[in-house]
Amino acid sequence: MDFIREYYFDFSLMGDNFGAVLDGFWVTIKLSVISGVLALSWGLVLAVLRQLPGKPLAPVRWLTIGYIDVFRGIPLLLVLFLVSGFLSAAQAEDVIPETIGLPTWFGETSPFWYGVISLTLTYGAYMAEVYRAGIEAVPGGQTEAARSLGMSHGQAMRYIIVPQAVRKVVPPLLNDFIALMKDTSLVSVIGALEVVQAGFDIQTAEFNGSGLVLGALFFLAVTIPLARVVDWLISREQAKTQRGGPKPPAGEAKPAGPPATGMAGA
Amino acid sequence: MEETGATAAPAEPAAGPMLQLENVCKRFGDLEVLRGVSVDVNRGEVVCVIGPSGSGKSTLLRCVNLLEPPEEGRILLEGKEITGKEAVEGINFVRRRVGMVFQQFNLFPHKSALENVCIAQEKVLDRSGAEARQKAEALLARVGMADKIGEYPDRLSGGQQQRVAIARALAMDPRVMLFDEVTSALDPELVKEVLDVMRELVDEGMTMIVVTHEMGFAREVARRVVFMDEGLVVEEGPPAEVLGNPQQERTKRFLGLVLEH
Repeated sequence: MDFIREYYFDFSLMGDNFGAVLDGFWVTIKLSVISGVLALSWGLVLAVLRQLPGKPLAPVRWLTIGYIDVFRGIPLLLVLFLVSGFLSAAQAEDVIPETIGLPTWFGETSPFWYGVISLTLTYGAYMAEVYRAGIEAVPGGQTEAARSLGMSHGQAMRYIIVPQAVRKVVPPLLNDFIALMKDTSLVSVIGALEVVQAGFDIQTAEFNGSGLVLGALFFLAVTIPLARVVDWLISREQAKTQRGGPKPPAGEAKPAGPPATGMAGA
Repeated sequence: MEETGATAAPAEPAAGPMLQLENVCKRFGDLEVLRGVSVDVNRGEVVCVIGPSGSGKSTLLRCVNLLEPPEEGRILLEGKEITGKEAVEGINFVRRRVGMVFQQFNLFPHKSALENVCIAQEKVLDRSGAEARQKAEALLARVGMADKIGEYPDRLSGGQQQRVAIARALAMDPRVMLFDEVTSALDPELVKEVLDVMRELVDEGMTMIVVTHEMGFAREVARRVVFMDEGLVVEEGPPAEVLGNPQQERTKRFLGLVLEH
């Protein structure tokens, strides 16, 4: 038992390496937030492209569906290898300029940016499907009302449909964000020194997993509160949609903001 | 309303029917919903369309504002063809002249009553925020919703929502208003407040096509009543004739069933 305790919970080792693991976690956070924001945006673009109306735009829809199918269907690790390999090779062959092939934007390393690109490509596809579910959950009468008022398809999407859809899908998007955050550890494989790599380096040097456990604690410090936020959002959503059901507990006044779901009066 | 419509549709063209439907056909797959419907609607005229469920009444309205473009036949709005290959005017011409109110209200739930009435004015007619707001406040006051302009649809009764929806359509300065069973989803005690708003519109001379099950309302306000069944116009004429002394067997049977209870 002592060995287990020492292997995983050597607090003096954690203390000695706290700075290194924290530095790694800071990289993880940056990777997660930058990729997360980009994937949220890219996913919305894909979802909207997928909903474009009319026959002439059918090729755009097909391309979008194809993209989503491909990137949802292959492992992130594979994408990471393909992206990093391609960009560095193309740069070496002078096909693309160095600033793109070996990016060091904002002082971050090239593996960092390869990771951001790969995570965005992959999670954009996941999130596009989440947005799509949200868009399809907005009642058809909303589009009809917007169109009957003279709005174009684009205006109806922008002002009426997408704002309602996004409100509906915040919890699943947050879930995807949690998954993305954990998947940033894969970027270590192409050379990013994020928190898992930092912990693994300690384990390799010291034959002790406490650095990795410390990294796990950092993860949990972020992911558990996020999971609770998701739960809270979902229960708030249910309280709103189940009208006539039990009222929210006293003191938890209904926010004056717009309703998140449901067609009025339906 | 016309005087505030600075950015509304251009001046009235020459006289003639506001709306002409000629042999309009619409099918969904194998289902023929409209099988050749011809109706004219004159300026300022109120036409009530009645008939059993599935008779094509709602589809007819949706064809008029091109939510469901008809497959055959022609529709002319202000004398200009808006359907088929010969269409001289497009969807924007139609939707800026034709307002529609739906059975399920279809208010935008993420916007307040005021924003519901403003959004299309600003985005479609390019009215300024202040101009749109002024118009919206006036219209909401007109439908008796002046004290609720900041409320979200969720907090409004069905009748209140429907009145906001009518204000929203009127804000676009339509020449024709289409009402698609606008009281069918309402609790009985809320029907009157919506019908009262519609009566006011009738008095102001708005051209209206009203799909309704409210026979009393049809008898009172309609210049003409059109009875539809199975995608065809079975009988049409003044309400006293169609409702009071129907000639066709199907009309008699329908009215018998509706008026019995």
